Amino acid sequence: MKLLLGLILGGAFGAVLQMSGASSYTKMTNALRLRDFTIIKLILMAIGVGMIGVNLLDALGLANIRIKDLYVLGILAAGLIFGVGLAVSGYCPGTALAAAAEGKPDAWATVLGGLLGAAVFAFLFPEIEEYLLSIGRYGKVTLHGALGVAGLWLAVPLGSLFIWLAFRLPLKEADR
Amino acid sequence: MAMARARTLGPIPLSWWGGGLAIGLILTIATALAEPIGVSAQYVVLDGVLLHALAPATVEQSPYLEKTAKGWTLQTYEFFFVLGIPLGAFLSALATRRLSTRVVPSEWAARFGPSPLRRVIWSFVGGFLLLFGARFGGGCTSGHMISGISQLAISSMLFTAALFAAAMLTVRYLYPSPNRPNREGRA
Repeated sequence: MKLLLGLILGGAFGAVLQMSGASSYTKMTNALRLRDFTIIKLILMAIGVGMIGVNLLDALGLANIRIKDLYVLGILAAGLIFGVGLAVSGYCPGTALAAAAEGKPDAWATVLGGLLGAAVFAFLFPEIEEYLLSIGRYGKVTLHGALGVAGLWLAVPLGSLFIWLAFRLPLKEADR
Repeated sequence: MAMARARTLGPIPLSWWGGGLAIGLILTIATALAEPIGVSAQYVVLDGVLLHALAPATVEQSPYLEKTAKGWTLQTYEFFFVLGIPLGAFLSALATRRLSTRVVPSEWAARFGPSPLRRVIWSFVGGFLLLFGARFGGGCTSGHMISGISQLAISSMLFTAALFAAAMLTVRYLYPSPNRPNREGRA
């Protein structure tokens, strides 16, 4: 049953990515060029809704929270590498799968490159772990944990801010 | 703005707010019934399972593979979630008549020419960097940006800030904007 649940939720996710244009190279590139804010608005909306939803669940004790480790230098380096890859390919690991399924051959190349990149990382991991992952290591820290409040107290105002920003941003640069 | 190329695809069928709302709800449901959404680890899982089948001796050199592709199986909730993405995208593209086999996106062609090989090589390189970075950081746009920030994780906020900074700088380099000369003056 868990497999079917995964397939259904993943299928819905893939369909939404595809239908909202997130798997489009041009949309992604123009989002990064600050010319077309569609994807930025989509992400802000998704995070705003998700933040309130997840923290509401958490307040009710129903959320399976998974916080990722903070290791400052490694996370910064990883984010920078990922960002260059995003700009060059125009896809992220999820939208590349959606774009590949739409039939776009360049997205197939991104998926194959991704499989190679993931494999190379897997074999380099012991070296990377020893040096980069140990610098600035703080574990699973959250903003509300650091401030000592319940997540919902931050999630409602911050999530609302994200949703407000999503509506506030123009769709295209020319609309400003 | 007006590309000479005729568009054969239909318009984007889902608005940004509809899509964003849906993703936020999918994340919430997934967090309640299973766990927050994530994609990039499953690239490692697929690598691990394939390598384990083809060259079992090689995989022993990577404790990371062994840990990530637990039990060398693809029959997990996480893998099926990721498997669902292309399935769902294929069905929705079929239903909305947006299947497309173009190799070179029009935006790319206008800047770097129509060569399919050039586009394929660079999208391969981009994919390599994406997954190397995502596994290094422990997540991608789904796991770090959407799930991570929603859970108010500080590592995810840092990852997202770094990725946007790098992506925007790279795109500025790839596509120098001619309409803002005074902002480009520092190069």
